[in-house]
Amino acid sequence: MAPRDAFNPLRVWRSVFREDRYFLVLSVFIGIFSGLSVVLFRFAIDWCSLYLLGTGAPSRERLLLAPALTGLLIAVLVIHFFPQSRGSGVNQTKAALYIYNGYIPLRTAIGKFITAALAIGSGQSLGPEDPSLQIGAALASTIGRKLRLSRDNMRLIAPVGAAAGLAAAFNAPIAAVLFVIEEVIGRWTAGILGSVVLSAVSSVVVMRGFMGPEPLFRIPPVELQRPSELIAYSILGIGGGLASVAFSSGIATLRPIFRQMSLWTQYLQPAVAGLIIGVIAVLGAPQVMGAGYVYIDEAMHGQFTWQFLAILALLKILATLVSFVSGTPGGMFAPTLFIGAMLGASVGGVEHMLYPHLSWSPGTFALVGMGVLFAGFLRCPMTSVFMVLEVSGNYSIILPVIIANTIAYFISRALQPTAIFDALSRQDGLELPSMEEQREESILRVEDAMELPTDPVLSAEDSVDRAARIAAQAKHDALLVRLRPSGWSTIRKSELKSLLDAGKGLQTLESVLGEEPDPVPSLHPDLPLDTALRYVDRWPVVPVVNRANLKELEGVITQRDVLERYRDFGEE
Amino acid sequence: MTSEPRRLDVSPYLRRQPVTLALLTGLAVVFFLAVSALARIHDAQRESLAERWAQRGVDNLDVQQFKSAVEDFRTALLYSRDNPAYRLSLAEALMGLKRDDEAQAYLVNLWEREPENGLISLELARIAASKNDTEQALRYYHNAIYGTWPADAEAQRRKTRLELIAYLMRINARPQAEAELIDLAAAVGENPAEQEQLGRMFASDGDYQRALAAFRASLRLQHHDAAAMAGAGAAAYQLGRYVEAERFLEEALAANPGDADVAQRLKRTDYVLHWDPFRQGLGQDEQNHIALAAFAAAGARLETCKTPDAQEQQFEQQWTKLRPRMTERGLERNPDLVNTAMNLVFPIEKETAGTCGAQTETDQALLLVASLHQED
Repeated sequence: MAPRDAFNPLRVWRSVFREDRYFLVLSVFIGIFSGLSVVLFRFAIDWCSLYLLGTGAPSRERLLLAPALTGLLIAVLVIHFFPQSRGSGVNQTKAALYIYNGYIPLRTAIGKFITAALAIGSGQSLGPEDPSLQIGAALASTIGRKLRLSRDNMRLIAPVGAAAGLAAAFNAPIAAVLFVIEEVIGRWTAGILGSVVLSAVSSVVVMRGFMGPEPLFRIPPVELQRPSELIAYSILGIGGGLASVAFSSGIATLRPIFRQMSLWTQYLQPAVAGLIIGVIAVLGAPQVMGAGYVYIDEAMHGQFTWQFLAILALLKILATLVSFVSGTPGGMFAPTLFIGAMLGASVGGVEHMLYPHLSWSPGTFALVGMGVLFAGFLRCPMTSVFMVLEVSGNYSIILPVIIANTIAYFISRALQPTAIFDALSRQDGLELPSMEEQREESILRVEDAMELPTDPVLSAEDSVDRAARIAAQAKHDALLVRLRPSGWSTIRKSELKSLLDAGKGLQTLESVLGEEPDPVPSLHPDLPLDTALRYVDRWPVVPVVNRANLKELEGVITQRDVLERYRDFGEE
Repeated sequence: MTSEPRRLDVSPYLRRQPVTLALLTGLAVVFFLAVSALARIHDAQRESLAERWAQRGVDNLDVQQFKSAVEDFRTALLYSRDNPAYRLSLAEALMGLKRDDEAQAYLVNLWEREPENGLISLELARIAASKNDTEQALRYYHNAIYGTWPADAEAQRRKTRLELIAYLMRINARPQAEAELIDLAAAVGENPAEQEQLGRMFASDGDYQRALAAFRASLRLQHHDAAAMAGAGAAAYQLGRYVEAERFLEEALAANPGDADVAQRLKRTDYVLHWDPFRQGLGQDEQNHIALAAFAAAGARLETCKTPDAQEQQFEQQWTKLRPRMTERGLERNPDLVNTAMNLVFPIEKETAGTCGAQTETDQALLLVASLHQED
């Protein structure tokens, strides 16, 4: 007989292809496919832009007609061929995770690819990130279905693809991973994190292979010279918070109104949105067309006056509002960054005008502004901070970013309690879990339900007779027994009575509980109350002990305590 | 009882996961190749568009149509975002529109990527100079001088240093300008235009000795350059080397007869030479003649510039005392009288120039002769 630990190639083979490891390998493939798809998507946008708007400064006629006529085509495509391509890719990925067992039809990705490329290329004020995210998620879902993954892995595969798509679109893997964890999945585990990171990194590697390693923007030198500058960043946080509320309220209010309009208007809505954007462009602000990364870059390098920057921020809100509520497929990440950058650089410009002796960098304000809108509008506070740090590659601005983002986030939450993604999913008739609400949800802990140890604790050396006498005075039906050298067990009053009746009164509890008594697991006061649920139906009473001294009993908990606490919590 | 060795069903592992991974790898390769082909088309198209717009920008820049050039280069950059040449050209076009802040933003960005690039540093130096930011201007000029240049680096560095010197002179930083000029003189080689420019720089810095040497070096390489001859003539004139100045200025005027400045300077030179009794090669008669005329001019000057100044009164007495001896005969008899007379004429001219200013061309000429010989 071969020794148990001898080298076994079959075991190694099995170990390599264990499903969790296999899933990690698949994540890399998903990243590669998503990265390649996003590269194609970027090419498609470029080509649409080139053939629809032309090269160089477009003529007035083109500015007016290209987005409007393309809007008509998009409406036909969305209504007749790709109805799933309208709406938020983030929510559709969440729906796949929580409702459809990871299912996203490939048709959705194809539809999103075509219609979003046409929309962004023709100048609609939308961005490529959300479609990229959805394309990645749909591709991943398709791969998962073809490979017949388990239900758990199928559920996770869409967010893995979403992270890959978003990472490639942003050229920022950390921000993409955080966004998917923070907004889509909502929880951290090693397995999820590993897959999401692998897919995001591999997609970014592919993207950079084709599009170059440069970030989305040329980042100017950013610095915080005086602590007093934080006041300006705080004002930016307030302004960004208010702008986020205006933007999200506009979308949340107008979108259902436009969606309830009769069908024939649905054909015209993207065209009218395109026409409005064309008029804005003809009137002197073509910068609002498309994703607008080029102009974010220019704003960062002080190419516009603060007045024009403020106007651009307002016009972009308007343009994105009409584009999005008209049902034109496309994302809101890029417009959010655009509005934030313009607002930030504008606030910086005002500060410079009022205090010309202070050195200022429009790039720093624009970067912080982007984070502010990300935090205030998309309600992803953690992603917003890391996104700015990753895009800028400069940690010296972390202080203004954190301050401004936090202010914007709290203002937005106070004035607009429902986050935009939650509002959109509810408008679409989906009750998806709100990650923001989950983050804020108060958790019940063991200490909230436990009772102080009023009953005496029996010792394993006590005789059954003595234990029965003590138990007679006890409040609970069961008592804890402290085992030697450590550990706990329980014994019910009825068991003691049976032992007495059997004439075992002089025996010790240790002897009657047997050599290997069924030990009761101990809990700690800070553990979630859910943890206690796993034990309280098996043991009549569970000890709650101090983490620093496992022999110190802090309380006891029973099934009744847990249920009563949950009942009270529900009533609260 | 012998137990049957346990057989594991490996077929699912062999059939499924490795095969699917191999299939996925194959698909990824095919997808990658397809995207690569499209990327080549995409990149070539964008590159071609970028080049076309950049060429339009260059054309507009050449004819100083800066506004159109800015649009052209911006469009070129849409298709080739990180092309440093387009960025630099855009910055130049923006500078042409006097939008220095915008230009600076582009240049600073370029400079951060290529701090060693001489051209970018030079443009930044120009912007800093136009903003009177001397510290930054000097920093960027020096970066440019010691930076890298795509072609003809030494010539570009010398031109940059010349520009720096001009800037230093404009802001009256003379000692720094002189130091740069001396460095430059060591670097300028067989380039007549640069030698000439160097001569002009030295001349405007008041270093006529080096200026004359630079003009001479230029003329050695380009014999009939009117500007260099004029410069050499002016430098020689300032050094009191009037014979040499006359020769340079005559040649300059012959090469460029319409140059009024050279003509005027030549006239003054001739006048100085005419009034200099100690000029080499003069005969005794000529010397005596000049001395007599100069003595008479000094007397006339004392007459027209009467002041209660004791020194002048003393000069008048000396002049009156010497006057009887100042005849052609007296000078023939006593040749040393020329020195005596001129030793009176020179202080008289200097003194009266101080109180009444130089009046006639004769007085001006005598003053120059005085400064020439009294230094000796």
